[in-house]
Amino acid sequence: MITITINDKEITLDQPMSVLEASRQAGIKIPTLCNHEILKPYGGCRLCVVEVERMPRLQNSCTLIAADGMVVKTESDVISEVRRGILEFLLINHPLDCPYCDKAGECELQDLVNKYGATAGRYKEEKRKVPESRKDQIFARNMERCVACTRCVRMCHDVQGSSSIAMIGRGGHTRMEPFTAESFNCEYCGNCLTVCPVGAILSRLNMHSFRPWQVDKEVETVCSYCGVGCSLIAQVRDDSIKRVIPKLGLGVNKGLLCSRGRFGYEYIGSEERLKTPLVKKDGELVQSTWSEALGIVADKLTEISKVNSGSSIAGIASSRCSNEDNYVFQKFMRMACGTNNIDSVSRTGFAAAQKYFEDLLGQGITGNMVDGLKHSETILVLGGDPTNVNPVLGLSIRQAARDGANIVVIGNAGGLEKFKTVQVVPHVFEEAEVLESLLLAVSKEKGVRGERPFVDKELRVLADRAPKTDVEGFEEAKKALLESGSTSIVMGMDLVQRTDGHRLLFTVAGLTYLLEARLYLLCERPNEQGLIDAGCVPEMLPGGRPINISDFRAKFEAEWNGTLPENDGLTILEMIEGARNHTIKAMYVMGENPAFNLPDSQSVKDALSGLDFLVVQDIFLTETAEMADVVLPALGWTEKAGTYTNLERRIQLQKKVVEQTGGMEDWRIIAELSNKMGYAMNYSETEDIMREIARVSPLYRDLSYNEIAQGNCLWPYHGEPLRGEVNEVPGMHDVDKEYNADFYLAVEKPLFHSGTLSRRSEALMKIYPEPLLKVGGSTAAKIGLQDGDRVQFTTSSGTIEALVAIDDSIKDNRVYYSNNFRSGGVFSVMKFNIDKVTNAPGIEGCEVRIKKL
Amino acid sequence: MFNDTVINEINEIRAKYPDRKSALLPALYVAQREFGWLSQEAMESVAHALNLPAAFVRGTASFYSMFKHKPVGRNVIQLCTNVSCMILGAEKLVDFLKTKYGVEPNATSEDGRFSLVIMECIGACGTAPAMLVNTDFHENLTEKSLEKILDKYK
Amino acid sequence: MENFLLRNIDNPNSADIGEYEKSGGYKNLTRALGMEAAEVLEEVKASGLRGRGGAGFPTFMKWNFAKADPKFPKYLLCNADEGEPGTFKDRPILEKNPHLLIEGMAISGYVLGAEHGYIYLRGEYPAAKDILEAAIKQAYEKNLLGDNILGKGFNFSLAVHQGAGAYICGEETALIESLEGKKGQPRTKPPFPVNVGVWDMPTIVNNVETLSNLPLIMEIGGEAYSKIGSEECPGPKLFCVSGFVEKPGVYELPMGTNLKDIIYKHCGGIKNGGKLKAVIPGGISTPVFPADGIDCAMDFVAVPKAGSMLGSGAVIVMDESVCMVKVTYRALKFFEHESCGKCVPCREGTDWLRKILERIENGFGREGDIELLLDVVKVMIGRTFCPLGDGAAGVVTAMIKHFRNEFEEHISTRKCKLSEAN
Ligand SMILES: Cc1cc2nc3c(=O)[nH]c(=O)nc-3n(C[C@H](O)[C@H](O)[C@H](O)COP(=O)(O)O)c2cc1C
Ligand code: SF4
Ligand code: FES
Repeated sequence: MITITINDKEITLDQPMSVLEASRQAGIKIPTLCNHEILKPYGGCRLCVVEVERMPRLQNSCTLIAADGMVVKTESDVISEVRRGILEFLLINHPLDCPYCDKAGECELQDLVNKYGATAGRYKEEKRKVPESRKDQIFARNMERCVACTRCVRMCHDVQGSSSIAMIGRGGHTRMEPFTAESFNCEYCGNCLTVCPVGAILSRLNMHSFRPWQVDKEVETVCSYCGVGCSLIAQVRDDSIKRVIPKLGLGVNKGLLCSRGRFGYEYIGSEERLKTPLVKKDGELVQSTWSEALGIVADKLTEISKVNSGSSIAGIASSRCSNEDNYVFQKFMRMACGTNNIDSVSRTGFAAAQKYFEDLLGQGITGNMVDGLKHSETILVLGGDPTNVNPVLGLSIRQAARDGANIVVIGNAGGLEKFKTVQVVPHVFEEAEVLESLLLAVSKEKGVRGERPFVDKELRVLADRAPKTDVEGFEEAKKALLESGSTSIVMGMDLVQRTDGHRLLFTVAGLTYLLEARLYLLCERPNEQGLIDAGCVPEMLPGGRPINISDFRAKFEAEWNGTLPENDGLTILEMIEGARNHTIKAMYVMGENPAFNLPDSQSVKDALSGLDFLVVQDIFLTETAEMADVVLPALGWTEKAGTYTNLERRIQLQKKVVEQTGGMEDWRIIAELSNKMGYAMNYSETEDIMREIARVSPLYRDLSYNEIAQGNCLWPYHGEPLRGEVNEVPGMHDVDKEYNADFYLAVEKPLFHSGTLSRRSEALMKIYPEPLLKVGGSTAAKIGLQDGDRVQFTTSSGTIEALVAIDDSIKDNRVYYSNNFRSGGVFSVMKFNIDKVTNAPGIEGCEVRIKKL
Repeated sequence: MFNDTVINEINEIRAKYPDRKSALLPALYVAQREFGWLSQEAMESVAHALNLPAAFVRGTASFYSMFKHKPVGRNVIQLCTNVSCMILGAEKLVDFLKTKYGVEPNATSEDGRFSLVIMECIGACGTAPAMLVNTDFHENLTEKSLEKILDKYK
Repeated sequence: MENFLLRNIDNPNSADIGEYEKSGGYKNLTRALGMEAAEVLEEVKASGLRGRGGAGFPTFMKWNFAKADPKFPKYLLCNADEGEPGTFKDRPILEKNPHLLIEGMAISGYVLGAEHGYIYLRGEYPAAKDILEAAIKQAYEKNLLGDNILGKGFNFSLAVHQGAGAYICGEETALIESLEGKKGQPRTKPPFPVNVGVWDMPTIVNNVETLSNLPLIMEIGGEAYSKIGSEECPGPKLFCVSGFVEKPGVYELPMGTNLKDIIYKHCGGIKNGGKLKAVIPGGISTPVFPADGIDCAMDFVAVPKAGSMLGSGAVIVMDESVCMVKVTYRALKFFEHESCGKCVPCREGTDWLRKILERIENGFGREGDIELLLDVVKVMIGRTFCPLGDGAAGVVTAMIKHFRNEFEEHISTRKCKLSEAN
């Protein structure tokens, strides 16, 4: 226990900290410039000086560790005089262009001068001149305003780990610059903007268009891009979002954001938004009214369910929609349409993996807190690049690396290239051999745990297989895992989208089980977990209750007042198959774009075109919507309220921020339809729906908006015990195929894009305007490619033309292309087989030829 | 980018330190020797060879005044003008270099023969004024001796 | 007193290991390795050796801190950055007597339990780099460095790390940062390098001259060593004298030699019979003495009492032809150029001071400028991150204190008489 006295106030500290932190804890303000809560102390600005008894000169409170018995004074005439002097120093070379500077009003320097007072203009010399740079599309850099606190650089280097900017030069000529001094060419997280105390780095998105004090309101909400679910503040003026900023200490992200979260908000105000319902007449989609459009849908669905039975109708839900939307959607499909055919594109990754892991190891196995990563001794990363898919989660891995954790990467390391400690790059599509060998080695050492008979049995089967241990890095990887006292496994979806996906998943499950590791599934979309929780899966009711267990069914039938269809429904790929062979007649798509977001997209389109009736409910006229008979305009992020469940299973509230465009909330559209179809749904606001969820779902039991708003709502919530039983999954089977082509095509998951939404964000399009074919250094050398070359690449199902970008973190002979841009997504040239165990598409073995143009 | 010989040389330097970052200053000297100055490509090559962020490499490089951040002439005159040298006439030598060889401080003569860098004390105060030409010390300079010395550098 | 640090330097082959051994070289390392490390440390304690890098910190104390830290490995860094203007005392050791330093470092490494040493050599000494590296190679060949030195089970590796032109890298924590491949910006203390130094390990930073005293302490014993020179800071000291003296150069004299004697006895007095105006006693960062202030014993105790600092023992002698405003201006140009930029008072203060001084020197001074200089100085003193900024402020204060009339004259006559005369 340390007791110190600050301004005659006695303060007891339970852990060592600086005098500055101690003062803050006691609510005593000390002015600072170079210090920032997120960053380590620096001690450069000297504004935080305090008087300490028995110490000769003024002390820097940010770097002075509080010692027992210290007597500190934070304000005095001498201190004020010093602070005034320092501020005068800071102003001598400052342009004093506050009237023109966007930072005015939230500028720390301005506030400090306001408090301590400026001295008379005694500085008569020439000021340092550095012209403002607007050579970057997103950031404006004004080094005359810079106070050289280095907060931006420390943020970029020590926290973000992007290390894209540096203080260039020495002494008074020090200035922040990106490597080329022009474009930042960085991860565009914008976290430097958060920490810059003055107007030295500003966003160009809304330059000179508003003043910080001119925002009409600030709404605390949650990001709509990925499964991390970062908290953010939307600042609104004239009913449009002017800026999105994070808030220190808040949410999963605690003050950090990624490029999508910070700059990707503009899509919501896009000109392309759907504003009225559309109905197909003579092959053309034409504007319609709500009553006409809803009438058509209700009639048509009623008719098909009567004539062909409910099982000829299928529904695709959306991991971009809220828990409430999805809950109402599945209830509608089940009770109004009479089918369990409910699934989502999440089946191609997260949902498939999650089901597999929960069947093997129990419910909730994949829900671990992001914070846990920081406490790991070893982090095994495989199947994708966390820093791209879930950027803010990626930061925790980088932080762990800086704190000395072993980062073991299987495959290409992407944004962890400079942070990995061990890397194993298996020959393409031989990941299973390597992982099984690893699992085998671990089980030899750790023995059998004996808690999951099925897993133990499969482990014994595995023991008969020959280990494959000649891959570089294998031994180090093994060592790191065996010696680790606290392990996390972070798995991306590349491992799921494989014909032998279940084999790969088994090894991951086995490692998780034997090492008692925390398992994290990368989660591309904001509500993949919530979608499952809400029951938008063909085999489970809300709360992960299997539909084929009659007790559960009975409970829900009583709650929902009707009869539930008994059999498991179809998975999404089976639905597409059904559409192709006309067993599925009608499809209802809510907030999803299967004609673009499923592999082999052309054949998906062909299948969908055979439907009798297709309804699409969306905020944009997507590729799927273009094919629809009826298109219903929905409301998007910030236009409606609702809860989302992130990859840690944290339930968070998205709030309404701006007025709507003419669309309706997804749940409201569906409730109206349901009422028209004779199944009554009486919700007047989302809270009504949550009240129902909280009653019927054991996971969200008793949960209220009020409690969610307090934060830290992780399920199971006041709940019943988790579903305890564990299922057997079909055993492993080999996929016999040789992979010796020169190059294979894989899906790029770019940091700056997510597809439908991001391609309507001006900022993100500026950062990454067109898809690039990413090739590794050795691939480039093999065919003589250079950055910026134009190439044609061809698979068995098509050809795409693109520019090349060389990426040295790609170490194998994969080439990557994204599926996020409007034209020619990589899925248009990718065929797939289905992994019979997980029902996910296996898109491996996509040989590709590359021709330089 | 560096050829294999240079990469090997850098790897040898790296072996002298427990971490790769510490090899940065020596590697920058190597790059300066290879490229003549620390061009963007030179710094990228170092970043690549040591697996360090390029901006970090540039940040460090830019702090040190003996790294050349723009192309220089065939010979670099590093003349000290700090107090001991100044009081014994170093400034006159600067003027002399200007008029006689057309080389201004921190610039290169038009014929590319000399670049002049004004130095802060080069540790030859007892024999002031002094300079380094490339890596050779020349001390007790006068206009006359300066002229004679520079004759040797073409 | 017989030269020890500068022994043999007139021999053109003095840097060769054979020559060094001929005059008894490396015997002292053998002697040290024959003793317990703790015994050697006792000798260092008895010697009363104080650091020659500028601050005069007792070497024994620093070593004791590092030794007490349980973390390993420990590192020994030799500060050969010698950047303080006016200083050229380490250069003869580095260029002419490198084995003395190597031997001193090996002994120190043994005492400290440090198995790795680096010599941080300023970039401006390219010749010294080659000489040191050749000498290190010779020492490795004779197993005076490397593994199991002289069969005594002590390992010590040594390498040269070349700086690249940044004065601040002479400050020990900046030196460590620079060795780690970063900008040379000082670190917050505590923790001190003896606990958390290079690569976060216990680290000793000592000046070239300090380390080169170790063989002598071994040779004559700490007790005898403590009898050389001043009582409170004994030993031989290198004084480097530049400016207006007849015989400038490096002098090895007992610590505490009177400044007056250094100038008049050893250096042959003022050049060309000129009249003394001022002396900077310890390198440009130390406050100036006016002509009548030089009757002072040159050691770490007496000089501060007389209002300045011993610093690096770099004595700059100025006669009546030197303009003190110009010297001040030039010094501030130096400080501004070398300020690392980390802390506001130094970064902006040196810039502002330089600009005011430049204008006074060039005849554009204004009424009130002297007060302004002193006001700026007031914000700097005691507020900067490291002593560089303090030094800059101290220089201006002392110059104005002793030569205020020159500043006033510049301002009132709007010109610099002396510069014009030259
Ligand atoms: C701005 C500044 C510059 C310094 N430059 C040097 C230097 O060039 N050489 C040196 O040995 N010490 C220099 N020092 C002192 C070192 O910080 C450190 O005290 C010294 O290396 C310790 O060695 P010693 O105990 O042997 O004196 C400098 C200190 C400061 C504050
Ligand atoms: S006093 Fe100057 S050199 Fe020292 S830390 Fe501050 S800015 Fe850097
Ligand atoms: S906040 Fe302490 S020095 Fe800047």
